[in-house]
Amino acid sequence: MTDFETLLHLLARARVEFIIVGGAAATVHGSSRLTQDLDIVYRRAPENLRRLAEALSPHHPYLRGAPAGLPFRLDAETLQRGLNFTLVTDLGDLDLLGEIAGGGNFEALLDYAQPIEVYGARCYVLGLERLIEVKRAAGRPKDFEAIAELEKILEARERG
Amino acid sequence: MPREKRTIPPDPVIEAYKKDVDLTLLEENLRLTVDERLEKLMAIQRFAEELRRAGRKLRGAQ
Repeated sequence: MTDFETLLHLLARARVEFIIVGGAAATVHGSSRLTQDLDIVYRRAPENLRRLAEALSPHHPYLRGAPAGLPFRLDAETLQRGLNFTLVTDLGDLDLLGEIAGGGNFEALLDYAQPIEVYGARCYVLGLERLIEVKRAAGRPKDFEAIAELEKILEARERG
Repeated sequence: MPREKRTIPPDPVIEAYKKDVDLTLLEENLRLTVDERLEKLMAIQRFAEELRRAGRKLRGAQ
Protein backbone atom coordinates (compact mmCIF):
# COMPACT_ATOMS: atom_id res chain seq x y z
CA MET A 1 0.00 0.00 0.00
CA THR A 2 1.18 3.50 -0.73
CA ASP A 3 1.07 5.80 2.26
CA PHE A 4 -0.02 8.95 0.43
CA GLU A 5 -0.32 10.94 3.62
CA THR A 6 3.23 10.34 4.82
CA LEU A 7 4.73 10.71 1.35
CA LEU A 8 3.01 14.04 0.76
CA HIS A 9 4.00 15.31 4.20
CA LEU A 10 7.56 14.21 3.61
CA LEU A 11 7.82 16.05 0.30
CA ALA A 12 6.05 19.16 1.51
CA ARG A 13 8.15 19.35 4.68
CA ALA A 14 11.31 19.11 2.59
CA ARG A 15 9.97 21.95 0.40
CA VAL A 16 10.17 19.82 -2.72
CA GLU A 17 8.47 21.46 -5.68
CA PHE A 18 6.21 18.97 -7.40
CA ILE A 19 2.82 18.48 -9.00
CA ILE A 20 0.61 15.46 -8.32
CA VAL A 21 -0.42 13.84 -11.60
CA GLY A 22 -1.77 10.44 -12.64
CA GLY A 23 -4.21 8.35 -10.63
CA ALA A 24 -3.75 10.24 -7.37
CA ALA A 25 -4.59 13.49 -9.16
CA ALA A 26 -7.66 11.76 -10.56
CA THR A 27 -8.62 10.76 -7.01
CA VAL A 28 -8.25 14.35 -5.88
CA HIS A 29 -10.68 15.38 -8.59
CA GLY A 30 -13.17 12.71 -7.53
CA SER A 31 -12.28 9.58 -9.50
CA SER A 32 -13.48 6.28 -8.05
CA ARG A 33 -10.68 4.29 -9.65
CA LEU A 34 -7.98 2.54 -7.66
CA THR A 35 -4.37 3.60 -8.09
CA GLN A 36 -1.37 1.91 -6.55
CA ASP A 37 1.24 4.64 -6.69
CA LEU A 38 1.87 8.32 -6.34
CA ASP A 39 2.98 10.01 -9.56
CA ILE A 40 4.60 13.40 -9.30
CA VAL A 41 6.25 15.73 -11.80
CA TYR A 42 9.17 17.30 -9.98
CA ARG A 43 11.04 20.50 -10.75
CA ARG A 44 14.49 19.74 -12.09
CA ALA A 45 16.27 22.70 -10.52
CA PRO A 46 19.44 21.55 -8.71
CA GLU A 47 18.21 22.64 -5.29
CA ASN A 48 14.96 20.78 -5.79
CA LEU A 49 16.79 17.62 -6.86
CA ARG A 50 18.82 17.79 -3.67
CA ARG A 51 15.73 18.27 -1.51
CA LEU A 52 13.91 15.45 -3.23
CA ALA A 53 16.79 13.02 -2.88
CA GLU A 54 17.39 13.93 0.77
CA ALA A 55 13.72 13.55 1.61
CA LEU A 56 13.45 10.11 0.04
CA SER A 57 16.81 8.60 0.94
CA PRO A 58 15.85 7.49 4.47
CA HIS A 59 12.97 5.52 2.95
CA HIS A 60 15.14 3.27 0.81
CA PRO A 61 14.09 4.21 -2.71
CA TYR A 62 14.89 1.50 -5.24
CA LEU A 63 14.03 0.95 -8.88
CA ARG A 64 10.71 -0.85 -9.03
CA GLY A 65 10.94 -4.21 -10.74
CA ALA A 66 14.73 -4.16 -10.88
CA PRO A 67 16.66 -7.17 -9.58
CA ALA A 68 17.79 -6.85 -5.98
CA GLY A 69 21.35 -5.83 -5.33
CA LEU A 70 21.88 -3.26 -8.06
CA PRO A 71 24.16 -0.42 -6.98
CA PHE A 72 21.35 2.13 -7.10
CA ARG A 73 21.50 5.22 -4.95
CA LEU A 74 18.98 8.01 -5.28
CA ASP A 75 20.86 11.26 -4.92
CA ALA A 76 20.79 14.60 -6.71
CA GLU A 77 23.35 13.37 -9.22
CA THR A 78 21.27 10.30 -10.08
CA LEU A 79 18.21 12.48 -10.53
CA GLN A 80 20.18 14.88 -12.70
CA ARG A 81 21.43 12.09 -14.96
CA GLY A 82 17.99 10.53 -15.40
CA LEU A 83 14.52 11.89 -15.94
CA ASN A 84 11.72 9.53 -14.95
CA PHE A 85 12.14 7.07 -12.08
CA THR A 86 9.66 4.41 -11.04
CA LEU A 87 10.53 3.68 -7.44
CA VAL A 88 9.52 1.46 -4.61
CA THR A 89 10.10 2.95 -1.15
CA ASP A 90 9.30 2.01 2.43
CA LEU A 91 6.24 4.24 2.05
CA GLY A 92 5.02 2.65 -1.16
CA ASP A 93 5.36 3.10 -4.88
CA LEU A 94 6.41 6.51 -6.10
CA ASP A 95 6.97 7.65 -9.68
CA LEU A 96 9.21 10.67 -10.09
CA LEU A 97 8.57 12.18 -13.50
CA GLY A 98 10.79 14.86 -14.99
CA GLU A 99 8.21 15.29 -17.72
CA ILE A 100 5.09 13.63 -19.05
CA ALA A 101 3.91 13.00 -22.60
CA GLY A 102 1.66 15.75 -23.83
CA GLY A 103 2.27 17.87 -20.76
CA GLY A 104 5.97 18.61 -20.53
CA ASN A 105 7.94 19.40 -17.42
CA PHE A 106 7.14 21.01 -14.08
CA GLU A 107 7.34 24.56 -15.42
CA ALA A 108 5.07 23.74 -18.37
CA LEU A 109 2.50 22.08 -16.12
CA LEU A 110 2.54 24.65 -13.35
CA ASP A 111 0.22 26.98 -15.26
CA TYR A 112 -2.35 24.20 -15.25
CA ALA A 113 -1.82 23.12 -11.65
CA GLN A 114 -3.97 23.99 -8.68
CA PRO A 115 -2.69 24.54 -5.16
CA ILE A 116 -4.26 22.14 -2.68
CA GLU A 117 -3.82 21.19 0.93
CA VAL A 118 -3.86 17.45 1.51
CA TYR A 119 -3.62 16.14 5.07
CA GLY A 120 -2.34 19.61 5.92
CA ALA A 121 0.46 19.41 3.33
CA ARG A 122 0.46 22.15 0.74
CA CYS A 123 1.20 21.03 -2.79
CA TYR A 124 -0.03 21.25 -6.36
CA VAL A 125 -2.29 18.94 -8.29
CA LEU A 126 -2.67 18.99 -12.04
CA GLY A 127 -5.98 20.58 -13.02
CA LEU A 128 -8.72 18.31 -14.27
CA GLU A 129 -8.78 19.55 -17.86
CA ARG A 130 -5.02 19.26 -18.29
CA LEU A 131 -5.07 15.85 -16.63
CA ILE A 132 -7.58 14.69 -19.23
CA GLU A 133 -5.45 16.13 -22.01
CA VAL A 134 -2.23 14.44 -20.91
CA LYS A 135 -4.00 11.13 -20.42
CA ARG A 136 -5.42 11.48 -23.89
CA ALA A 137 -1.99 12.35 -25.26
CA ALA A 138 -0.50 9.23 -23.68
CA GLY A 139 -2.94 7.25 -25.84
CA ARG A 140 -2.90 4.14 -23.65
CA PRO A 141 -5.96 1.91 -24.01
CA LYS A 142 -5.84 1.19 -20.27
CA ASP A 143 -6.58 4.89 -19.67
CA PHE A 144 -9.75 5.03 -21.78
CA GLU A 145 -12.10 4.20 -18.91
CA ALA A 146 -10.27 6.59 -16.60
CA ILE A 147 -10.50 9.41 -19.16
CA ALA A 148 -14.20 8.76 -19.65
CA GLU A 149 -14.74 9.03 -15.91
CA LEU A 150 -12.69 12.23 -15.66
CA GLU A 151 -14.67 13.77 -18.49
CA LYS A 152 -17.88 12.87 -16.68
CA ILE A 153 -16.52 14.63 -13.59
CA LEU A 154 -15.69 17.66 -15.72
CA GLU A 155 -19.19 17.67 -17.18
CA ALA A 156 -20.69 17.45 -13.68
CA ARG A 157 -18.48 20.31 -12.56
CA GLU A 158 -19.49 22.45 -15.51
CA ARG A 159 -23.14 21.82 -14.78
CA GLY A 160 -22.45 23.07 -11.27
CA MET B 1 -2.09 30.79 -11.82
CA PRO B 2 -4.41 27.96 -12.95
CA ARG B 3 -5.06 28.16 -16.65
CA GLU B 4 -8.10 25.94 -16.61
CA LYS B 5 -11.32 26.41 -18.56
CA ARG B 6 -10.64 25.25 -22.06
CA THR B 7 -12.89 23.24 -24.26
CA ILE B 8 -11.77 19.66 -24.79
CA PRO B 9 -13.04 18.35 -28.14
CA PRO B 10 -14.95 15.08 -27.82
CA ASP B 11 -13.17 11.88 -28.73
CA PRO B 12 -15.51 9.19 -30.14
CA VAL B 13 -13.67 6.38 -28.35
CA ILE B 14 -13.90 8.12 -24.99
CA GLU B 15 -17.54 9.01 -25.65
CA ALA B 16 -18.25 5.30 -26.09
CA TYR B 17 -16.59 4.51 -22.75
CA LYS B 18 -18.59 7.22 -20.97
CA LYS B 19 -21.74 5.15 -21.23
CA ASP B 20 -20.29 2.69 -18.72
CA VAL B 21 -19.12 5.20 -16.12
CA ASP B 22 -20.81 4.55 -12.77
CA LEU B 23 -22.16 7.98 -11.92
CA THR B 24 -23.30 6.91 -8.45
CA LEU B 25 -19.66 6.33 -7.44
CA LEU B 26 -18.66 9.71 -8.83
CA GLU B 27 -21.45 11.53 -7.06
CA GLU B 28 -20.45 9.90 -3.80
CA ASN B 29 -16.80 10.90 -4.29
CA LEU B 30 -17.61 14.45 -5.28
CA ARG B 31 -19.35 14.93 -1.94
CA LEU B 32 -16.11 14.10 -0.09
CA THR B 33 -13.22 16.41 0.73
CA VAL B 34 -9.85 15.79 -0.95
CA ASP B 35 -8.48 14.25 2.26
CA GLU B 36 -11.50 11.96 2.48
CA ARG B 37 -11.02 10.87 -1.14
CA LEU B 38 -7.40 9.91 -0.50
CA GLU B 39 -8.28 8.17 2.76
CA LYS B 40 -10.90 6.17 0.90
CA LEU B 41 -8.31 5.27 -1.75
CA MET B 42 -5.91 4.02 0.94
CA ALA B 43 -8.70 2.04 2.59
CA ILE B 44 -9.46 0.36 -0.74
CA GLN B 45 -5.76 -0.35 -1.20
CA ARG B 46 -5.63 -1.93 2.26
CA PHE B 47 -8.68 -4.03 1.42
CA ALA B 48 -7.14 -5.13 -1.90
CA GLU B 49 -3.93 -6.12 -0.12
CA GLU B 50 -5.87 -8.10 2.46
CA LEU B 51 -7.76 -9.89 -0.31
CA ARG B 52 -4.47 -10.71 -2.07
CA ARG B 53 -3.03 -12.00 1.21
CA ALA B 54 -6.09 -14.17 1.80
CA GLY B 55 -5.89 -15.42 -1.79
CA ARG B 56 -2.23 -16.39 -1.35
CA LYS B 57 -3.07 -18.22 1.85
CA LEU B 58 -5.95 -20.01 0.15
CA ARG B 59 -3.77 -21.06 -2.78
CA GLY B 60 -1.10 -22.21 -0.35
CA ALA B 61 -3.65 -24.37 1.47
CA GLN B 62 -4.87 -26.05 -1.71
